Amino acid sequence: MNIRFMAAALAAASMLGSITPAFADTELKIFVSSQHQPDVWRKVLDKYEAANPGVKIAIETGGNTSEAQAQYLNTVMSAKDSNLDILMLDVIRPAQYAAAGWTSDFEGKDMSVYLPAYAEANTVDGKIVALPAFADAMFLYYRKDLLDKYGIAPPKTWEELAAATKKIADGEKNPELQGLSFQGKAIEGAVCTFLLPYWSQGKTLVENGKLTFDHDAAVNSLKLWKGFVDDGVAKKNIAEVATDDTRKEFQAGSAAFAVNWSYAWTHFQGAESAVAGKVGVTRLPALGGGEQASCLGGWEWGVSAYSTHQDEAKKLVEYLSGEDVSVFMAANGSLLPSYAGAYKNEEVLKAVPWFADALQVVETAKARPVTPRYNEVSEVIRTTVNAVLAGVTTPEDGASQIEARLKRILR
Amino acid sequence: MTNTSTINAASTADRGPPAWTRWLDLGDRALAVVLLAPAAILLALIIVYPVLRLGYTSFFSLSLTSGLPAEFVGLENYSLMLDDPVFWETTWNTVLITLITVPGALLVGLALALLANLPFGVQWPVRLSLLIPWALPLSFAGLIFAWFFHSEYGVVNDVLMRLGFEGIIWFNSPNWAFAAICLTIIWKTSSFMALIILAGLQTIPRSLYEAADVDGAGRIRQFFEITLPLLKPSIVVALIFRTITALQTFDIPYMMTGGGPGTSTATLAMYIHQNTVSFLDLGYGSALAVVMFALSMCVTAVYLRAIRTKE
Repeated sequence: MNIRFMAAALAAASMLGSITPAFADTELKIFVSSQHQPDVWRKVLDKYEAANPGVKIAIETGGNTSEAQAQYLNTVMSAKDSNLDILMLDVIRPAQYAAAGWTSDFEGKDMSVYLPAYAEANTVDGKIVALPAFADAMFLYYRKDLLDKYGIAPPKTWEELAAATKKIADGEKNPELQGLSFQGKAIEGAVCTFLLPYWSQGKTLVENGKLTFDHDAAVNSLKLWKGFVDDGVAKKNIAEVATDDTRKEFQAGSAAFAVNWSYAWTHFQGAESAVAGKVGVTRLPALGGGEQASCLGGWEWGVSAYSTHQDEAKKLVEYLSGEDVSVFMAANGSLLPSYAGAYKNEEVLKAVPWFADALQVVETAKARPVTPRYNEVSEVIRTTVNAVLAGVTTPEDGASQIEARLKRILR
Repeated sequence: MTNTSTINAASTADRGPPAWTRWLDLGDRALAVVLLAPAAILLALIIVYPVLRLGYTSFFSLSLTSGLPAEFVGLENYSLMLDDPVFWETTWNTVLITLITVPGALLVGLALALLANLPFGVQWPVRLSLLIPWALPLSFAGLIFAWFFHSEYGVVNDVLMRLGFEGIIWFNSPNWAFAAICLTIIWKTSSFMALIILAGLQTIPRSLYEAADVDGAGRIRQFFEITLPLLKPSIVVALIFRTITALQTFDIPYMMTGGGPGTSTATLAMYIHQNTVSFLDLGYGSALAVVMFALSMCVTAVYLRAIRTKE
């Protein structure tokens, strides 16, 4: 009876859909970041289109890094362009979008269904700016086969990691094999590169909009990475390496360890991977004596304030940020769910077994500073990290530059 | 002039012009105004208005990330600039790029033009290869050369290593990164110089060289006494265009290094783009753009004066 009833309801709904003018031939344009499986999102959208006749959804992608995408969306939104209806936004952007008034408020939405970090990240001054698309955090990927071969346990501190890479390098004698790949190019990932060891020392960068910069902790962080370059743990041109370069290098089997987000997993297990079945994932190491810290990532769905299809766009975003889609994207695109319950979902755990341990990492991951001027904060940190890794600036000078320039921005 | 008007008068005498052409019967001055008006209006709309608007915005604190309305702050954006180390660094980089790549492109362009002007049997391959770098979009050139100079996959390091040298991590050092950018800009822009100079070369009458041959002047003497002086007007025109675009350098360093390492290869145009497009600080970005505009105007004025005294 159930099936028959549902089929009838569906038929009625679709008929209703096709005759209700509001839903007739609505074309929604949705911006998806190209690095987050637009092809898998397409499948989700196909399902939505099938269930909602009269709604057509087109995906637009552009730019291959978070900054390039932000620049593109900045131009579109500051021109008040109504072309895009829904935008996928990096977790660091809602504050800026709220200040500029670029997204529509999801008034009255119950945010407690999501992981607390994302309920918080999407609520700015009491307004719900966007709804979570997926969660994310940085992890340490390692070559299980190599660690087993040399009897090394997954490192808990960066010092242990450095020692492990030495042991592997001495044994393998392969000049093509790097110890650790991380992000040294002046891109958003380099901000997390700086913050991981900084946070590990129990320090914060910004509290309640006020700068709480700890000079010594910053020097230690920059020294750690520069030391990795000097000691051969990382390759000499690490200042040229962006997030997806790290993914490609590890995938090609040319790195023993890699710092990356969760999306990399699907690629490592894919048909084009040289390391399928040989990859382990664990929490990022701590700086000697400190705590293990990760960088909170994730992307959000916002509805453009200039969209001429507000209701339809909001309805679609409600669907996309729902638990079913979250589970589907976890199982098919290895994107971390923004629902706590989804981490125990059988379908998810079958596809990505390590997600069982990932919830704790996401829950304890630290958020980058929340400010509408985040782009400036990010630029200061990432260009300095890049300059230190290239050897242009010393860790001490780098820390002083970050402090001086952040003071100007967050005065 | 008189010829055409008599012909017009003769041909229209028998039939008389259609009524709608009557409004064309204007005095020379009025006709000039009518004919120039569309271009002048277009220029006013796409150049004069934006430039004035830019100058106006530069006196406001206007940042889309602040959530605040624009507020008049007088010269505050300009005084901020004086304390801003990145402004000085990017301005200096821009000036340095101009000082290196403009003469560089001139020398290479001159050599290419002389080469292309040699009496080859088939001239189109030479001319085509001159045109291609010029026709290539700047950002493509930047991307292509970013790969050429890539430390691991680049052809430049491959050649260096085959010759027994050690590979260079080009974009890891400010000096090498700067050198790579300047080489790319010279490669990209010298063909434009060459095209203009080639056009100038072809206006020099062959008889001058024949006369010089008769008088016993050598090739080098001919070049300095005949070719170079007669090329001067074309060279000045090429220099004006090249210098102004050099001051606006953006695409090639943006694609090759993104301004790195740190901000050591960022240009003023990149800094303006960053402030306006990434930081959405339209007030400060406008003030920076006004400075760049003023810089371009100064250079143009110097060149124009140089031409005028020549004449």
